[in-house]
Amino acid sequence: MAYRFPLLALGFVSLAFGVAGGLARLSPLAVPATALALHGPLMVSAFFGTVISLERAAALGRPWALAAPLAAGLGGAALLLGLPMAGFGLMVLAAAVFVLCGAVIMRRQPSLETAALLAGAAAWLAGNVMLLEGRAAVPWWIAFFALTIGGERLELSRYLRRPPWVRRAFAFLAFAVFFSALVPQALGVALMALAAWLVAFDLARVTIRQDRLPRYVAACLLAGYFWLGLGGALMALATAYDAALHAVFVGFVFSMVFGHAPVILPAVLRIRYPYHPLLYLPLAVLHASLAVRVFVAAPLGAWGNAAAIALFIAVSICLILVKGRK
Amino acid sequence: MTEDDVRAALKTVEDPEAGMSVLDLGLVYGIALEEGKVRVEMTMTSPACPASDYIVDEAAAAIRALAPEGTDVDVRLVWDPPWTPERMSAEAQQRFGWT
Repeated sequence: MAYRFPLLALGFVSLAFGVAGGLARLSPLAVPATALALHGPLMVSAFFGTVISLERAAALGRPWALAAPLAAGLGGAALLLGLPMAGFGLMVLAAAVFVLCGAVIMRRQPSLETAALLAGAAAWLAGNVMLLEGRAAVPWWIAFFALTIGGERLELSRYLRRPPWVRRAFAFLAFAVFFSALVPQALGVALMALAAWLVAFDLARVTIRQDRLPRYVAACLLAGYFWLGLGGALMALATAYDAALHAVFVGFVFSMVFGHAPVILPAVLRIRYPYHPLLYLPLAVLHASLAVRVFVAAPLGAWGNAAAIALFIAVSICLILVKGRK
Repeated sequence: MTEDDVRAALKTVEDPEAGMSVLDLGLVYGIALEEGKVRVEMTMTSPACPASDYIVDEAAAAIRALAPEGTDVDVRLVWDPPWTPERMSAEAQQRFGWT
């Protein structure tokens, strides 16, 4: 258990430099050249890769699964130290271990849900291999997030009564997302369809009418689906690259992180993270600043995105410290 | 401590995504009581469920809060048989549109 925190901290180093590198692309800011050049790999494979694979390792309960977050975190450190090929190689290793985790989970309980998670892992691996080869990794990374989050949401939607075709539609969409990663405009269409599926059939439609944490999580999810659909539309139109990517990565993925941190952090770190309505503040800043980024001014919006992430971390630390460790 | 006490404790433990207790959601498979010991077997909707440790911890803490001091509380995850919606209580089935 004690090693989980250092692994998470390693991921947060990549988050800090990755965000700074992203800001430096849009406005004058002195950051290490590696952080600026490798913003994408730092954010996706080093930060999210560490967090998501650590979460999966915790769910799996096998020590070897921790090799994935370790390799992803070290990969980010290698990038920052100016060793890009070593970093990319570690990211491929991390994703390969993550695929193995997905395979073990699928063997434990073969289902459409676990298959989608395995496909998401395979997409991350494909993206990291592309990175190593100097080819376009981003569509595969988007497929990684869409399939991973989609698979987890499909699993939770089992609480709801849905006609059988709803699952078949998801299977078709998951297939489309995975293979359309080869053609970004097609991927945009698949993401729009997946966003529509999520809005229509997700459990969040029910839990948004509840209160406290379930409602907050649902708000994060539903706002995220809006951005997934918009990002998909922009990708389909092959326009506004920064807006399209950040609609997906910030609007969809970070919103999901904001929503699930109060559930996942206690599971991963064995700490108490009590819900408080204050959590809506960073969430509102995130989505408002993303709207500014997409529709008004990218640099200003990007600073707002960074502020939302910093605010979320600050609120989280306050809530965890107020209740103390278990 | 009786089985009903354990059920009452588990009724306070929610799946944070569903906003409903693990008992109503049909995630609790079995409760066994012995002298000084409480054993609970429960499942999740998926073996990849990232919240599983969180829910197991919450369940154990809720039982410990009601149990006499020094009671050995063991909450275990099992994957067989897999969870199905028919396991949900009438209240949960109604909320999620099954009845």
